[in-house]
Amino acid sequence: MTQDLKLLVPLHVSYIQNLGKSQDELAYHLTAHLRMNAIYWGLTALYIMGHKDALDREEMIGFVMSCWDEEAGGFGAHPDHDAHILSTLSAIQILIMQDALDRLDVDRVVKFILSLQQPSGVFAGDSFGEVDTRFLYCAVNALSLLGRLFELDVERTVSYICECKNYDGGFGATAGAESHAAQVFVCVAALAILDRLDVVDQQTLCWWLSERQLPNGGLNGRPQKLEDVCYSFWVLSALSILNKMTWIDSEKLVSFILSAQDPESGGIADRPGDMADVFHTQFGVAGLSLLGYPGLVDLDPVYCMPASIIEARGLRKGWKSLPRKSI
Amino acid sequence: MHNVRRVRQSPAAIQANKERERSKIVDYLALTNDVISRKKNKDWSRDAFDVTQKLLEKNPEFYTIWNYRRNIMLNGIFPDSTSEQLNNILASELMLTTTALKDHPKVYWLWNHRRWCLQNIPDGPIVEEKPSLQWRIDNWNKELAVVDKMLNADPRNFMAWNYRRYVLASMPIQRPETAELAYTTRKISSSFSNFSAWHQRSKIYTSLWRSGQLDPVKSRDEELELIHNAIYTDPDDQRCMDSLVYYNRLLLQKHRPHSTELRGKCLVLLQQLEDIDPPRRYRYRETAEEIRRIQPHEVAECV
Repeated sequence: MTQDLKLLVPLHVSYIQNLGKSQDELAYHLTAHLRMNAIYWGLTALYIMGHKDALDREEMIGFVMSCWDEEAGGFGAHPDHDAHILSTLSAIQILIMQDALDRLDVDRVVKFILSLQQPSGVFAGDSFGEVDTRFLYCAVNALSLLGRLFELDVERTVSYICECKNYDGGFGATAGAESHAAQVFVCVAALAILDRLDVVDQQTLCWWLSERQLPNGGLNGRPQKLEDVCYSFWVLSALSILNKMTWIDSEKLVSFILSAQDPESGGIADRPGDMADVFHTQFGVAGLSLLGYPGLVDLDPVYCMPASIIEARGLRKGWKSLPRKSI
Repeated sequence: MHNVRRVRQSPAAIQANKERERSKIVDYLALTNDVISRKKNKDWSRDAFDVTQKLLEKNPEFYTIWNYRRNIMLNGIFPDSTSEQLNNILASELMLTTTALKDHPKVYWLWNHRRWCLQNIPDGPIVEEKPSLQWRIDNWNKELAVVDKMLNADPRNFMAWNYRRYVLASMPIQRPETAELAYTTRKISSSFSNFSAWHQRSKIYTSLWRSGQLDPVKSRDEELELIHNAIYTDPDDQRCMDSLVYYNRLLLQKHRPHSTELRGKCLVLLQQLEDIDPPRRYRYRETAEEIRRIQPHEVAECV
């Protein structure tokens, strides 16, 4: 049904460019707490589509720096919002993609990140102590990007990830929690960065990950749930890190992602016919890049950033995506 | 954005919508600016506390404002409160998030705030000159009731399940784990494909076996029977197969089948799965091969 669909690159580029101009919509203001992440999603999607300069560099760097929380030593999601590890990682990723890391007080931000590690090895998101393997991944990713991984207590970190492992081979948000594809991504990617993929039960996990594909080609995040474009990245990244990309039907997944595009206004939605947003646009494009979709730039599934940037920092791990198809 | 259908609107309708939103945006930004400037001024007053509530009711995802609200309590309200007052404040705070969770069951910040409130509940009043745990006991029981309701509304809400595990682990008086096993049985009976409940069950069983409260041999036998019945309850639902097969793997692999009879039953079950669910037949065969490879002397050691 969707054999002839193509990725509508120019439309998605203008969709992302217009996101910052929707101050006349209430939803824009109600999502201010996601602004830093949204800029990271938008910039990464543009980069992968070959349009990294489509947003104004100086304006973007200026915005990122205006979110610095001097009291905490990290970045909030928006000016005057409190520092959190989610927005701090996004800020670091944006500064690296814009080659502007010299603007960052690396020592202070490293101190902030390390202060969030708990005795169990997991990380809190901020000083109020919510813990989650997502925050652990953010910390490991950020420290690695900043070249400061040697300051991390690796054993303690890995031991918490092991506590989150379930009998299906997957990982949950905390010790004891149910396996969830997004949590599998954060745990597997953190282990990849720490060179500790040996603790993954690879056969069992890859079976579970492959089971996430539904008859319509899309992937879900847990058994018995609906398909959703963002799992194209959470599941695929883990399969790619574990070199099992061939275990799913890639053509059907490509068709599913393309069918979730908004062909009039641009952007990609969670599933066909729904409202597009920048989060699903980024993870749809990221999935297509790993699937070898023609014309896209290579994405590093471990850091979810352009592969060339990660390679230039000497951080490339042994993941494999599908070969890039020619147009 | 999840599950929001795309609706095509005419340019005129879009414009009209923006007109309607204009005054809402002005109000929202004015409220935000008020709260943020109070926060910058370290305003820990009751008045500030009340405006944070107004803002959070409009936007429960505004994490910075939850942080500010907790700081107002810590710096402005708690120091001048008796422990009874503190208990009342936190109880009404829990009520506030219960209301918000009805509309926003998957907002991390709400569950996070709830957890923080619970952690700060004082033990209890002095009863007959002795300290009691009354407030903690009451609040923890209430929390279990709230989380039960949340899981009735959405039996797969993983945030609710995570919170449930947190509440159970920190109960002032521990509940027997067999009660939680019974809870998962109820959940599975009402929906066999509730994988969250199967997951919870895997954790409870592992713990009960480890502590010697349940006989692993007997419970594995019963569990296999349950799975067997499940397959015939809903054989058309292919998607529930994989959860059951995984569950099966737990029983088979981590705790090897302990008798020739049970191994025989497992092999029959896997053969049935092959017939019902041909696309995954190679995986079932592989699992059957694993079981056939188990030597009798390994069986006793692995229990």
